[in-house]
Amino acid sequence: MKYTQLYSLLLFLILIVVWQLAAGSMSELVLPAPSIILRTLVEGLLSGYFTGHIIQTMLEILLGLLLGGFLGFTAGILMGESKFLYKLFAPYVIASQAVPKLALAPLFILWFGFGMTSKVIITALICFFPLLENTVSAIQYTDKQKLELFRMLKASRWQTLIYLKIPSGLPGILAGLRVAVILAVVGAVVGEFIGGSEGLGALIIASQGMMDTPLMFASLIILTVIGMVLYQLVYLAEKRWSKSSMKENKK
Amino acid sequence: MGFLTIKNADFTYQGKQAVISDVNLDIKKGEFHCLLGKSGCGKTTLLKLASGLLQPDKGIIQLNGKELDGPYQECGFMFQSPTLLEWKTVMNNVLLPIFLRRKVTEEDREHAAGLLDMVGLSEHHNRYPAQLSGGQQSRVSLARALIQHPSMLFLDEPFAALDAITREELQEDLLKICQLHQTTVLFITHDISEAVYLSDRISVMDRGRIIYEEKVLLKKPRLINMRYEPYFNRLCLTLRQKMSEGRP
Repeated sequence: MKYTQLYSLLLFLILIVVWQLAAGSMSELVLPAPSIILRTLVEGLLSGYFTGHIIQTMLEILLGLLLGGFLGFTAGILMGESKFLYKLFAPYVIASQAVPKLALAPLFILWFGFGMTSKVIITALICFFPLLENTVSAIQYTDKQKLELFRMLKASRWQTLIYLKIPSGLPGILAGLRVAVILAVVGAVVGEFIGGSEGLGALIIASQGMMDTPLMFASLIILTVIGMVLYQLVYLAEKRWSKSSMKENKK
Repeated sequence: MGFLTIKNADFTYQGKQAVISDVNLDIKKGEFHCLLGKSGCGKTTLLKLASGLLQPDKGIIQLNGKELDGPYQECGFMFQSPTLLEWKTVMNNVLLPIFLRRKVTEEDREHAAGLLDMVGLSEHHNRYPAQLSGGQQSRVSLARALIQHPSMLFLDEPFAALDAITREELQEDLLKICQLHQTTVLFITHDISEAVYLSDRISVMDRGRIIYEEKVLLKKPRLINMRYEPYFNRLCLTLRQKMSEGRP
């Protein structure tokens, strides 16, 4: 385990070195060297140039994730609990998934303007489905014998949901959240691509216009870091949950 | 009349062949009664009927003189698997039946601790089920079944998945506890010697019917050596023959 991490790091260093060497023979406009990108990145961060953009994009991601995640989770519980609601809504949910949501972005900008609202809604729409899907199956596939136990103990429907179905389905629900987090970054950036003057997506489009490739790469790196940090946070939450409950038998 | 009475009970899962047909059963207070039968003979279904989890199509089921119309509050249950909640500690798993009904008091905690002591898990209150062995998980499940001072226990092959020695230990514990509290027990098993060792009376089931009943004339408390007495083995043989007689 220790060694694989070391090799992983080594691979990263090799890639950087190859990149640096390759960039030496190319125009900065096509492939800027890592050293130049790093300088742009550090300078931008220190001067506060990126700050506003990072905050804007983070806000869109988090608000979208919160809205989409909450709605997906709630709808997932309702559809998981009620066969009627499931059958009623399932075709529409699938249809809404079949629509390429990013293609709706221009429409949302038309409806909700160039501000943050349209981007939050695009992000929310993208985050909605993975949580819905995972919550529904987590609720529907609760262990039968545990359900029987709760019936024997005369637990109410609400108690069964809160104390059995949701906790036992949490690993699946969190896995859905992990997917949603990554998609949220995509949603926010695409929204900014299409209509926005602020945010890292808008910055990428602007840097393209200015032919400032190092800036483009620097924005990309920040986006990647944001995505990885969010992913890691969910992963840690997941691990903490399973650590407190499903610890391996240590003998 | 007995503590648990089943009269002419029929039960069919929707659109299928009858699972239980015309079953009569009468269990006295404090009696340890075994339902013995091969898998698929309907014994689990009968237990579900007796415990109020299922309603019979026909017939009457009475517990403590009252007709059942749903799970009975003063009962304890144990399933084929321990069915513990992995995200709750051993202590909270034992307290679950109370937790779902009302606020857990300090007194309840003491009671639960006492039960855990009795099943030999005094060191494991704050562990999680996944940290326990299969036998220990079954013990937690037993403690949970006993937390509400049940007058009646329904046990569905609770020790089937355990190794022979652990199973014997748990059988001892169960008998001890039931004797102490004069608990009435309906116990399901497909293991003939387990049935003989534990019960006061045994009903052999086949294809949804009770085809044979036998009183066990072993003294109480039961001792390990009794398993090797001639009477014990003769009874096992009789039951074995009855179990296969049911089949044409």
